[in-house]
Amino acid sequence: MPELRSRRGAPRRGRVPVPGLPGVKAGHLLVYLALTFGALVSMTPFLVMISQSLMTLGETLTRAPWPASPQWGNYVEAWTDASFDRYFRNSVIITGTTILGVLITCTLAGYAFARIRFPGRNLLFTVLLATLMIPGTVTFIPGFLLVRGDIIPWGSWLNTLPALTVPFISTAFIIFLFRQFFAQIPEELWDAARIDGAGHLRFLTTVVLPMSRPVLTTATLLTFVHAWNEFLWPLLVTTNPTWRPLAVGLANFIDEAGARTHLLMAGSVITIVPVLVLYFFTQRQFTEGIATSGLKG
Amino acid sequence: MTWVGTLDGPMAVLDATPRAAPGRAHRTPWGEWLTGYAFVLPATLVIGVFGLFPIVYALYMSVHRWRIRKGAFLGLEQYERVVGDLGAFGVFLGGIALIGVAHWLWTDAFRGRPSGPMLARASGALVLLFAGIAFALGWQAMRETGDARFLLGLTRTFYYGFLSVPVQITLALVIASLLFQRLPGQQFYRMLFFLPYVTPTVAGAAVFRAMFSPREERLANTVLGWLGIDPQRWLFESRPVGQLLFGDLFARFGVELTGFWAGPSLALLTIILFGIWTYTGYNAVIFLAGLGNIPSDLYEAAEIDGANGVQRFSQITVPLLAPVTFYLTVLGFIGTFQAFTHLYVMREAGARGAADTASLVIFDTFYLRSEFGVAAAQSVVLFLIILAMTLLQSRLFGRRALRA
Repeated sequence: MPELRSRRGAPRRGRVPVPGLPGVKAGHLLVYLALTFGALVSMTPFLVMISQSLMTLGETLTRAPWPASPQWGNYVEAWTDASFDRYFRNSVIITGTTILGVLITCTLAGYAFARIRFPGRNLLFTVLLATLMIPGTVTFIPGFLLVRGDIIPWGSWLNTLPALTVPFISTAFIIFLFRQFFAQIPEELWDAARIDGAGHLRFLTTVVLPMSRPVLTTATLLTFVHAWNEFLWPLLVTTNPTWRPLAVGLANFIDEAGARTHLLMAGSVITIVPVLVLYFFTQRQFTEGIATSGLKG
Repeated sequence: MTWVGTLDGPMAVLDATPRAAPGRAHRTPWGEWLTGYAFVLPATLVIGVFGLFPIVYALYMSVHRWRIRKGAFLGLEQYERVVGDLGAFGVFLGGIALIGVAHWLWTDAFRGRPSGPMLARASGALVLLFAGIAFALGWQAMRETGDARFLLGLTRTFYYGFLSVPVQITLALVIASLLFQRLPGQQFYRMLFFLPYVTPTVAGAAVFRAMFSPREERLANTVLGWLGIDPQRWLFESRPVGQLLFGDLFARFGVELTGFWAGPSLALLTIILFGIWTYTGYNAVIFLAGLGNIPSDLYEAAEIDGANGVQRFSQITVPLLAPVTFYLTVLGFIGTFQAFTHLYVMREAGARGAADTASLVIFDTFYLRSEFGVAAAQSVVLFLIILAMTLLQSRLFGRRALRA
């Protein structure tokens, strides 16, 4: 398991399967059995989702575990008739905009908190971090009044792209990630850049960012998953389908679909696929990013 | 990372800037300051407007009549509507705080005194008893005078948190220990276990609705059929689990099993299963990273000293993982106490609100009843309870976690 070792020199680890539960050394077969059973339970909902999405309406009402012949037309029906095409497009635009915003604002802030000295810096950073403690259940009510233009007279943002993206383009957690990473960049590089006449912005864009691939990837992946899955907020600020994202569209479709489970499952697969594809291709960075950032956060 | 002498302890971590070279810092670096402020401005503005300002404004809303538009100033009236007698709510929160005091008396207060252990246990147990009484009495008084919908929601939130977090963490520790054997295919299993966590919640919940449908042919009831158990109504079932399991047994003695001890409704239990499915893999991955940080020399030394598997697990693995466990427990409780999406998606009118936790009640108060002020007061109350629980947990596990 080399990829989960800590960055500062991993401690020596023997081949002995040491910290396991008592008795597992007895047989690897038992371990495999237990793991396979757990994995099967964990995978069952995905299998149900895929198989039912390919069934006919009649088949979903029986105990059949798999469709007699796969009904790919279900996907076409969900895509066009149930507006999943529009929801999908919306989700892509919303997620993309959010990621772009996060990468711009949080790299700048993370860099300043790590490498620029200015009065009030630590206080400001602590205050921003404190927002991580605040539950979304407290902020959504005033947040809704804000984007409706009740508090600041900037007009109503309901059913617009900014309402769905602006509140999410900066989060304290991502700033924290960037700050930790940027703080480790050697001071000599900055000295050299200064001699060449570079300012902070040029140093950040030409030296720091190109060597920050790992943290940029982690931030992108985390933001992608959060933005794609966000539910309560888009539910509040989209009263019509114009900018409605997949998660809200799918939740509404549960009522509209009624007994048409096959279409609902097709919609669910459409919602899940982009995240899964991304996850399969970036599995290592993904899991490590969450595991290491989790331990630090 | 340079540690600056004037800042010590945790504050030192805050100072990540390399120390300025000597002789450079003579004049005030206005340009440097300005660049710093310009860099943090966009993020600060966004987080300030959408993260910090709403907290203050929620407090402001909670003391005004506010149905769609702002009305008269009401003071704490809406809080009284929500939690009943404010004194009772204070006693209730005090009960949570007293658990921490009892723990302090038990572990730290009398350390190093000759009669320490006796005194510590006696006083600790006494305070714990008071904590229990305060908790129960406070709750009782709140139930009599407060908003029944919200307080019932809180009970369900407690069920949800206390039934799902320990199960998630235990299962995750088992899975992580098994995965840590470094067998071939470990990566593959890790990926499978982690998958539910990245799955969009609405889609996962939609499948759970299909699996746990009251129809006999659906998966959950099919499995029950194999075990010879009658089909259940799952998400539609408002009766508590205790009643479904032991109702007949108690009825034989002429007792009807109701109230808190009857447990959560079957509808809520189904939602708890969903929570366990989602978060176990995530917890396992974090545990796995924690296991990787335990030096293997410790195990080798223990093995030489003749410690068996159970001893190694309980004496090395569990204590050294304490910080991770602490982190996951806090995160788990904060997560379950404000969980919304899957509860919203999986609620069925047929269950008559039997699975509506506090966060759903807040949403309804806001969205369906348009009582913005009351909803704000409810959200502040939920926040206070989350805060009290977090502080208590850092008292109970945090010290041990920091020491490890």
